[in-house]
Amino acid sequence: MPRGYSFEQIGITEAMIATYADAVWELSNNIQIRRGDPIRKLDFTDFETQRPDLGMSDAQIAAVLGLTRDQVLAIRVVTEVRRFRRRNYHRLYELGRGNRFRADRYVAPAERAGFREDALALRAAVRFDPARVAEFVRAGWWGSDTLARWLTSRATEAGARTALSAPEGDLTYAELAAQVERFAAGLDALGLGRGDVVCVQMPNIPEFVVAYLAIARLGAVMSTAHMPYRAAELRTLLAHSRARALICLSATKEYAPAVAALAMKSGLPALDHVIALGDRVEGAIPFVRLAGIEGAPPDDLVSAPVPADPFLLLYTSGTSASPKAVPLTYQAMLGNARAGVQEHRIKADDIVLSAPPYTHLFGLYSFHLALAAGATNLLLPVFTPPDLAQAIAKERPTVLFTGPAHLAALQKSGLLDGTDLSSIRLVICSGSACPPELARAVAAKLPNGRFTQLWGMTETQAGLYTRPDDPLEISATTAGRPSPGTEVRVVGPDGAPLAPGEEGEFQVRGSLMFPGYFDNADANAAAFTADGWFRTGDLAILDAAGNVRITGRSKDVINRGGVKYNPRDIEDLLDAHPGVMQSAIVPMPDPVVGEKACCFIVPRPGSAPALDELCAYLQERGVAKYKLPERLETVAEMPLTPTRKIIKGRLAELLAKGN
Amino acid sequence: MNERAPREAASDPDAAELKTQIVEYCKRKGALAVGVADLDAIDLVAPPGHRPRDILPGVRSVISLGVGGQTQGAWTVPTKAFAYFGSTEGRAYTIAYGCSFFIENRFRARSVYCPPDMDPEGGARIPLQSLKLHAELAGIGARSLAGDILLHPEFGYMYYASVFTELWLPPDRPLDSNPCPAPSCVEMHRKTGQTPCMKFCPVQCLSGDINERGEQVEMRYDMAKCAELTQQYEAVPAMLADAFAAPDGPARERALSDPDNALLWYKMSVGSGGLLAQCFECMRVCPIATRAPLADPIRRATAADKKA
Ligand code: SF4
Ligand code: SF4
Repeated sequence: MPRGYSFEQIGITEAMIATYADAVWELSNNIQIRRGDPIRKLDFTDFETQRPDLGMSDAQIAAVLGLTRDQVLAIRVVTEVRRFRRRNYHRLYELGRGNRFRADRYVAPAERAGFREDALALRAAVRFDPARVAEFVRAGWWGSDTLARWLTSRATEAGARTALSAPEGDLTYAELAAQVERFAAGLDALGLGRGDVVCVQMPNIPEFVVAYLAIARLGAVMSTAHMPYRAAELRTLLAHSRARALICLSATKEYAPAVAALAMKSGLPALDHVIALGDRVEGAIPFVRLAGIEGAPPDDLVSAPVPADPFLLLYTSGTSASPKAVPLTYQAMLGNARAGVQEHRIKADDIVLSAPPYTHLFGLYSFHLALAAGATNLLLPVFTPPDLAQAIAKERPTVLFTGPAHLAALQKSGLLDGTDLSSIRLVICSGSACPPELARAVAAKLPNGRFTQLWGMTETQAGLYTRPDDPLEISATTAGRPSPGTEVRVVGPDGAPLAPGEEGEFQVRGSLMFPGYFDNADANAAAFTADGWFRTGDLAILDAAGNVRITGRSKDVINRGGVKYNPRDIEDLLDAHPGVMQSAIVPMPDPVVGEKACCFIVPRPGSAPALDELCAYLQERGVAKYKLPERLETVAEMPLTPTRKIIKGRLAELLAKGN
Repeated sequence: MNERAPREAASDPDAAELKTQIVEYCKRKGALAVGVADLDAIDLVAPPGHRPRDILPGVRSVISLGVGGQTQGAWTVPTKAFAYFGSTEGRAYTIAYGCSFFIENRFRARSVYCPPDMDPEGGARIPLQSLKLHAELAGIGARSLAGDILLHPEFGYMYYASVFTELWLPPDRPLDSNPCPAPSCVEMHRKTGQTPCMKFCPVQCLSGDINERGEQVEMRYDMAKCAELTQQYEAVPAMLADAFAAPDGPARERALSDPDNALLWYKMSVGSGGLLAQCFECMRVCPIATRAPLADPIRRATAADKKA
């Protein structure tokens, strides 16, 4: 209301506002132009000619435009409100204390990069119990860790120390940080940024590490595809993760990942870039080009990754129709690794070798520990028993991360005996429970080292481990005690905690825990109890000292006519059979008793043990009759996870197909 | 002295003495510069309704006084902090208020301190009176290329207040020369087409031309842009309009109470009342505002020491 009159009373219409808004704006004080200095010079004639430019009162404008004063007032005020830009004052926040506004450098907050829709969807899946979070922070389990901060610290404090030792040469922490900075600038130039998922399919080579740390440097999220994955698995992962880029090899001996990815790009709307390391691939961005970009990614408060960010999106399986994607945050993962450095006693002068690939969380755990400690990562691009044996003999690692299957392969190929393991002061064995005999055999081969076991999952990283000082019998037979910040329990079918010595479902919770599967409500509903415990799917027995023995997988349990048993002990016995290289027992449906045991074996070269022979062998060793396998399948090789764990689900599928 | 003054001066030989007493009073109270503006000249420039007589019908003199801007330290703080205390006009108003009492007590002439706020009939951006015009005509400031902010060759950047009185006082003349642009600004303008105030204004609302003699030829100022940065009352209706247009509850909540908007509510309710004052970036880089001989308390104290 101008001076108490309604717009209608003074005849203001939208048409009138539209007609006169510009003229009123120009003639009013909103825009002021002064020529010379007429008032100071008392030249009022000159001043009068300039009045329209200097700014007129509403009454004066009204006289010029043929309106009433109130009409001008109404038009002016409405126009001022409509033209007012609200967010300009944010420009002031970065000024002062020596900082001046630079028109050529200024980017308004609204135009600065932010999270894309897909990135926000991923972040929406990251939700924790607030009371627990407060506890984790108070206890120091969740801290200020990010990979970018760790790398900067290592490069600043001990830049000359070797970060990566690879067949093609070594990289110091300072060199690694510089390469990461350049590659991050390259990814930034592609428009990748905070929260974007970048999938990496590469072996344990320096470029993997550079890519991983550069992705983290940008605040983006790395997803991994294991090297054996082919187009079908890759498509599933890229589609589900909404990855914006894939970084892969141009070609391996038997496969061309970059070409395959480019071929599926049209069906993957989120996938903008395929970055290929190796020979040039038409349509792919050469890795080396991005690595050669001079400059640095944005370095401001908005772009910097923070500990609460998810930085990994790892898949527990690349094959399922409903993939289980595990988002992991710095707080949970790096807090767990930081504690692990102390518990495993990793030091800056250690040389850490990971037999598992970095595409798997166990491999990444070894890298996280080494980075936290400022140790050297000895890179083994691809595991084969001879390559592992040679790396140990030649490069003299002090800490070895390995799966039981790696050790078994080394042993069965005869390389365990022939390899000098004197440099190793610590073995951390994980992936599946290590057969005690194998553990003892390896420990016996370590003149200066200790054998330890670790239990973890993609969802948790390191949940249990034995400590270097634990007696061998503890390390050979159990996965140890919880890592700092981790709580564990073993429950019966009714969900009630069991007494020590009883076998039941192994459940975990604590500061290491992932927030829940991304985009998989069914999996989340099944994975957690009402009070926040994660159902690991493993069977375990807790001993009185708090050590946990993982005894199998609950879904591997065979229910024969209502009698349930865990086939793990039988598999251990079969693995020790002279004619058997590897064994796995899976349930097979039976119309009468519900389930029976089917035994898959990989025979030793030249052997072909029959079912009767194996059953007799087991009975000689006290195995009850109802636990004996009732069918035998011989395979050339077992389907294996990247940590060389047998994928029993695949065997069950084979069985179903065969039937 | 203004040429129009002699007739009244002759009829009131004590006027000059009264003026001296008033100037001394104001200076004692903290004014750096005091002058009397020519009332007729004001009437020629100020639009009807905004002339001194529209406030005090019997006005015969307009006294303008200036107080110093902030401390030298203030120029170094973050802009967001400076914006809260950059303006020192409150001090000027207090002196003007006291001065009007002083004149009434001492000289028995009706006086009033000029209300420094908006004309409620004119909308939010229209002041009742132009304090700037009074000060310019009283010879205690000249219009700069920084949106006509007044600068003084000795005191730099000041805040002004006015007193209207029925006491006749001999008026002063405007400053003989304009200190803006400073020689370094002329030099920079020659090279880049901009002076410091133009270059570093956060909304780039200033531009202008300078002739070969280093004098202002044209000053261009987009006041709307400047006001957007420093006054946010218009953000309130815009915020409410957003809230009405919001598609759902969470969006409405955000429209009303996102951190920026919550701050507006805070300032309107329990805060200092100011949204943001001026941004002062143009003055922060202005050599006259920051480096004039008596521009800040440290310089003034140093000059006083030297004099002593
Ligand atoms: S106060 Fe700020 S926005 Fe206004 S002219 Fe000066 S620098 Fe520009
Ligand atoms: S910086 Fe100061 S002196 Fe220089 S042109 Fe701007 S207002 Fe004038």
